[in-house]
Amino acid sequence: MAAPPEPGEPEERKSLKLLGFLDVENTPCARHSILYGSLGSVVAGFGHFLFTSERSCDVGVGGFILVTLGCWFHCRYNYAKQRIQERIAREEIKKKILYEGTHLDPERKHNGSSSN
Amino acid sequence: MAHAAQVGLQDATSPIMEELITFHDHTLMIIFLICFLVLYALFLTLTTKLTNTNISDAQEMETVWTILPAIILVLIALPSLRILYMTDEVNDPSLTIKSIGHQWYWTYEYTDYGGLIFNSYMLPPLFLEPGDLRLLDVDNRVVLPIEAPIRMMITSQDVLHSWAVPTLGLKTDAIPGRLNQTTFTATRPGVYYGQCSEICGANHSFMPIVLELIPLKIFEMGPVFTL
Repeated sequence: MAAPPEPGEPEERKSLKLLGFLDVENTPCARHSILYGSLGSVVAGFGHFLFTSERSCDVGVGGFILVTLGCWFHCRYNYAKQRIQERIAREEIKKKILYEGTHLDPERKHNGSSSN
Repeated sequence: MAHAAQVGLQDATSPIMEELITFHDHTLMIIFLICFLVLYALFLTLTTKLTNTNISDAQEMETVWTILPAIILVLIALPSLRILYMTDEVNDPSLTIKSIGHQWYWTYEYTDYGGLIFNSYMLPPLFLEPGDLRLLDVDNRVVLPIEAPIRMMITSQDVLHSWAVPTLGLKTDAIPGRLNQTTFTATRPGVYYGQCSEICGANHSFMPIVLELIPLKIFEMGPVFTL
């Protein structure tokens, strides 16, 4: 249904929507969190079963939710930090291009302050 | 612009929209996990062989399912409020544009540096050129500079309208007798589309908004400054 990509344009990744709405392919950190959550669920559930020989589905589901949430917040925090760093770098590069050779050159300001 | 059958948000063209997309992803993950838990509980309810007709109370479970949703709501509310206050930040706009809703077209006024006023009507299908978008393209686009804070003052001359551009994360009601303000800073050039978002009569779906965002250097050469 989507328009075909123009030649040279990167092809949009086919979206896989869990429960019909969570697009794990195109949402940053979603795929990573769900995969680790699934692994955590299997480890927790199976481990609980090995130790107790009792029904472990509840532990598995709980493990999935907790591990997914934990990975999600950790990944999103790092992603947000990375975005901020990218934004700062972009601004600095723009400033450098704009003001290179003038008295507003950020490199000159930085060198001046470090030599002081 | 949106592609056919698009359900998700459009790519961001302003920092606020980037934040909104991040918030949307965050909330969607929480919703997904809640849905997963509820589906699991439903599955257990439907497949269990256990029955107990003498249950009178379950204090611990009731405490958990009261406290936990409250925590979840706080986890959702805090980023939401952060973005809400971010949208209200005063950032010394470089340009102020007035947008006036009519039945069924928009009027734009660039009065900061002169007196440029024009109407923006949807292009009727018979007047479309090859490559134009049906029901979206207009005769006169709103031309604005990128990377400059812009203030939009929005009102209406007749009935309620709403000036919305999804890619910028903007939607502001146009109310007759009231002036609403919204500010934005576009981060990349291009042509961006929006549509009237408040029912306003027969042609409510046929009064689109088109922004043409261009570099400041080129904007300064345009009619806003040379009229």
